[in-house]
Amino acid sequence: MDNNKHYDVIVIGGGITGAGVARDCAMRGLSVLLLERFDYTNGATGRNHGLLHSGARYAVTDRESATECIEENMILRKIARHCVEETDGLFITLPEDDLDYQKTFVEACHASGIRADIIDPAEARAIEPSVNPDLIGAVRVPDAAVDPFRLTVANVMDACLHGAESLTYHEVTGLIVNQNRVDGVKVRDHRTGEEKEFRASVTINAAGIWGMLIAQMAGVTVNMFPARGALLIFGHRVNQMVINRCRKPANADILVPDDTVCVIGTTSDRIPIETVDDMRVTDDEVRLLLAEGEKLAPSLATTRILRAYAGVRPLVAADNDPSGRSISRGIVCLDHETRDGLAGFITITGGKMMTYRLMAQITTDMACAKLGNNRPCETADIPLPGSEKPKSGNAQRSFAFNAAEGRHGTMTSKISMESDADKALVCECEGVSVGEIKYVVENQHVHNLLNLRRRSRVGMGTCQGKLCACRAAALLGRFNNNIPKAQEDLAEFLDERWKGMKPVAWGSTLREAQLTATVYQGLCGLDKAITRKEGSK
Amino acid sequence: MKFDTIIMGGGLSGLTCGIALARTGKRVAIVAGGQNTLHFFGGSFELLGNVDGADVTNPLEAISSLDQQHPYSKMGHEQVAQLAEQAKSLLGDAGIKTSGDSARNHYRITPLGVTKPAWLTLDGLATTDRPDSLPWKKVALINLESFIDYPIDFVVEGLRALNTTVEMPTVTLECIKRARRSATEMRATNLAKVFTNTRNVAQLAEAINAVAGDVDAVLMPAVVGIDNEDASDILKAQVEKPMYFLPTLPPSVSGVRINAALRHYFQMLGGRFLLGDTVDKATLEGDRVTRVNTAKLQDTPLEADQYVLATGSFMSKGLVSNFERVYEPLLDLDTNAPKEHAQWSQFGLMGDQPFMSYGVMTDEHFRPLKDGKPLSNVYAIGQVLGGHNPLTLGDGTGVSLLTALAVAQNILDQK
Repeated sequence: MDNNKHYDVIVIGGGITGAGVARDCAMRGLSVLLLERFDYTNGATGRNHGLLHSGARYAVTDRESATECIEENMILRKIARHCVEETDGLFITLPEDDLDYQKTFVEACHASGIRADIIDPAEARAIEPSVNPDLIGAVRVPDAAVDPFRLTVANVMDACLHGAESLTYHEVTGLIVNQNRVDGVKVRDHRTGEEKEFRASVTINAAGIWGMLIAQMAGVTVNMFPARGALLIFGHRVNQMVINRCRKPANADILVPDDTVCVIGTTSDRIPIETVDDMRVTDDEVRLLLAEGEKLAPSLATTRILRAYAGVRPLVAADNDPSGRSISRGIVCLDHETRDGLAGFITITGGKMMTYRLMAQITTDMACAKLGNNRPCETADIPLPGSEKPKSGNAQRSFAFNAAEGRHGTMTSKISMESDADKALVCECEGVSVGEIKYVVENQHVHNLLNLRRRSRVGMGTCQGKLCACRAAALLGRFNNNIPKAQEDLAEFLDERWKGMKPVAWGSTLREAQLTATVYQGLCGLDKAITRKEGSK
Repeated sequence: MKFDTIIMGGGLSGLTCGIALARTGKRVAIVAGGQNTLHFFGGSFELLGNVDGADVTNPLEAISSLDQQHPYSKMGHEQVAQLAEQAKSLLGDAGIKTSGDSARNHYRITPLGVTKPAWLTLDGLATTDRPDSLPWKKVALINLESFIDYPIDFVVEGLRALNTTVEMPTVTLECIKRARRSATEMRATNLAKVFTNTRNVAQLAEAINAVAGDVDAVLMPAVVGIDNEDASDILKAQVEKPMYFLPTLPPSVSGVRINAALRHYFQMLGGRFLLGDTVDKATLEGDRVTRVNTAKLQDTPLEADQYVLATGSFMSKGLVSNFERVYEPLLDLDTNAPKEHAQWSQFGLMGDQPFMSYGVMTDEHFRPLKDGKPLSNVYAIGQVLGGHNPLTLGDGTGVSLLTALAVAQNILDQK
C-alpha cells in the first residue's frame, strides 16, 4: 500500500455503516480507504439480534424510524437477498398485556406503510408452533432475519470491486489536523506494530460508539450515550418466525431465528464510555433475558443456551443539546465544517443496522458535495456481490453447497467443490467445507480464526467449535503459512467462545465446556503448546 | 435380578472395578450407557503428571503434597503404590500391554505434538524420557492425505521443538480415497476400520517404505486396526524402519480398543454387561440402597449387596448442573460444589476451572456422603469423585483405575 497516496475519502470503522459508506463512495467513483481497528463487525454490528426490522417495533413511538425501516427492509431483500432470510414476524399479546394496544399498533404500522395483519391466536400457533400458547392476540408483519457478518463483508467486497482499499487491524490513533482542516489519519497496524499516516480530502468517522473518541481526537465534541444491550443465543432454532411482544418496546422482547440458532434480546442499560470495550454479560442480564424469553417461547426454558454476548448502541444526543436529554435513535450526520469550523471531517452515527444504507447515502451525498462529485447514489438498485441472482434452489446439491450458497449467494460458484478433499466438511454443525474456507481466506480478509468464523460460521453452531476449531486452525495455518500463529489462534478462539459461555455455564453448556477443556487442555496440551512458544521467543 | 455388586457406569473405572471383583468369583453387573471418556484417551494412563504447574518426576513421591480431599490422599502412599502395580497387571491380563513406572514418569506425545508426563503408555505408541527431546535425531511423520482430523502441521511443529528433524512425506492410497468420499467419514476410527483389512495394511506399508527415506524412525497417527493390535503388528513387521504411533484427536482408536478389551475380559470372567442402558432410579432405605431400576428394564429391578457409582463427571452426566445447583442425579449425594453458579467457572477456559474439581464427597472408604453421613453399601469411584482437577494435575485415568481397585478391595474386605 502506498502511504503517499492521497485518497478522496478515508472511512473510519469496519462495521456495517463504514462498509456501506465505503461501498457508496466507491460506486460514485471516489478513491476510498476503509480502516478497521480489529475485524469487520467487531462492534455493535456483530452484536445484535440479526433482525431485519419491518419497522413495526417503532411504529407507535417513532414514526420516522418506522418508515425508514420498512423502506430499507424492502431494499435489502432485493440487494442483499443472500444475507436475508424472509421469515416474517409475529407481534404477540400475552394475557398480562393490554390487547387494546394491538389496535394502536396496527394503525401505526399501516400509517408507516408496514403490512400488519391481525391473525387468530390459533393460526399464530399453527404457523409458529414454538410461540407461547397462552397468547391472546397476534399480528403478522414483514420482519426477517439478516446476517450482519455477511452483509458487512458483501459491502466491503463490493467497495473493493469498485476500487476501494480496505485494511483491518489498523487502528486510528490520531487525526492529522492542519489549520482547521482534517487532512487524514494516523494509524497503528496491530499486526506489525507499525505506525502509518494516510491522507484524504474527506475523513468520515463511522466508528459507532467509538466515534465519540475519534471526534475527540479532532478536538470536536459529539455527545453519545452508550446503551448496552445483552443477548442470549440458544443451541438450536426454536422458532421459524421472529417473535416480538405487542407492547411498548421493552427488555428482551424479541426472539429471532438466525441460521441454525435463535437469539433473544435485548437488555438496555446506559453505561459509561470507559466501559464500552468490556462486553462480558452479567448474571442479572442473563436472568432477565431468560425470564422474558420464556414468555415468548416457553421451550427456551429447556433449550441449551450456547452463549451470551453484548453490544453497545451509539445513541446520540440531538445536536446543540449538551445536557443530552433529548436522545434520538434517528440518523445523525454531522458536517464538522459547518458545525465546528473543522473542514474535511464528517461524523455519521445514530441510526441502526437496518438503515445503514440510507446512512451511507446521506454521508456520501455530503462527502460528494464537498468534492464536487454529482454522481447519483445507486446502492438501492444494484445488488451486492452474492445477490445478483436468486438462489439456485437446486435441491440436488450437497449439504455443504446449500449451506455455502446460503452464506455466499452467487459467489458460491467461486468455491471449489470439485475434489473430495475440497468437499470435506470442517464444521459439521454449519456445513463449512475445506473449499469454502479456502475461498474466504483468499477473498475476505481472513487473518485468524475469529475472522474465519465471522466469514463462514465455522464454530458458530451447536458444538461452538469443539472439534472443528482445531481442523480450521490447522487449515488456516497451512493457507497462511504460519503454523505457530495458528495454534495461538486456536487457543484465543476457544477462549473467545468461552467468554460468551461462561455467564451461562450450567447444564449442557457446562458439560460442553468440560468436554472442550478435556480435549484441548487434557488430551492435547494446547495450553502447554502456547507457553512453549512464548518461552522460546 | 440379584447380584453381589452392581456397578453403575461402564467407563474405565466401572470396568476396572468390575474385573477386580469378577476375578474373585463375585457376581457383578455393569450398567453402561455406551460412550465414555476413553474416547478421548491420549494413549497413556496418568498417575500424577503435574503439581503446582510443574511436571512431576516421581508420582508416588509427589502424592504427599496433594490436598486432603484428593482421592489418593484417602488411600495413602502405600496403597497407591500397591494399587498402581495391581492396575498395570490387571490391564495386562485384559490384553492391554503397557510400559511405564509409577515411581518415574515418562512423556507422552499429544495430538498437538506436545510432551506431557505419563505413567503407563500403550506399547507401540511413541514416548520419550525427557520433556524436551525425542529419542530420535530424524523421523518421518506420515501424512495420510486429507486426514483433516489430524492437525499434522501442529505435530510437526511440536516435534521440531524437541530437537528432532522431521520429514512429512504424504501417502495417498486408493482405500483412503474411498473413505474420503463421505465428507464426514475421515475420523480416526473410520480409518482404523479401513486399516484393519490386511490388504489395505500391506498397501500402507508399501507406500510408507516408498516415502520414508533415511530416518531413525517412522511415526504415524494411531489409526491402524480397530479391534486389536493385529493390524498394527502386521504393519510394523512390513515397514522397514522402526515404527511408532501417535495419538489422534477423538475418537481415540486406542481408547476404543481398551474399552473393548476390558469389556471382553469382564464378560469372560462371567460379568454381566448391560450395554446401552442406564440406571435411572436407586431406592434408598435408611443408609442402604436396596435396588436400582434401569431405563430399559423398567419392571425388573436389579438388586445387589453393594452398589458402585462410576457415572463420571458432568460430561458423562454423573454430575448435573442447572441454574440453581450442582447435583448427583441418582441419589442426590453431597457434593463439594458451591451454591452460586457464578463461582463454578472463571474466564480463561484452560485455567484451573473450579467445576473440574466438583464431585461427590466420600469417607475414607469412598462411601459417598448424603446429608453428611456415608451410605453403608454404596461406593463412588472415578470422575464422579470430587476433590481433584484431572486437567491441572494430570491424574484422571490414575484416579479412575486406583479408586476402582481400592473400592473392589474395600468390598472384598467386608466379607
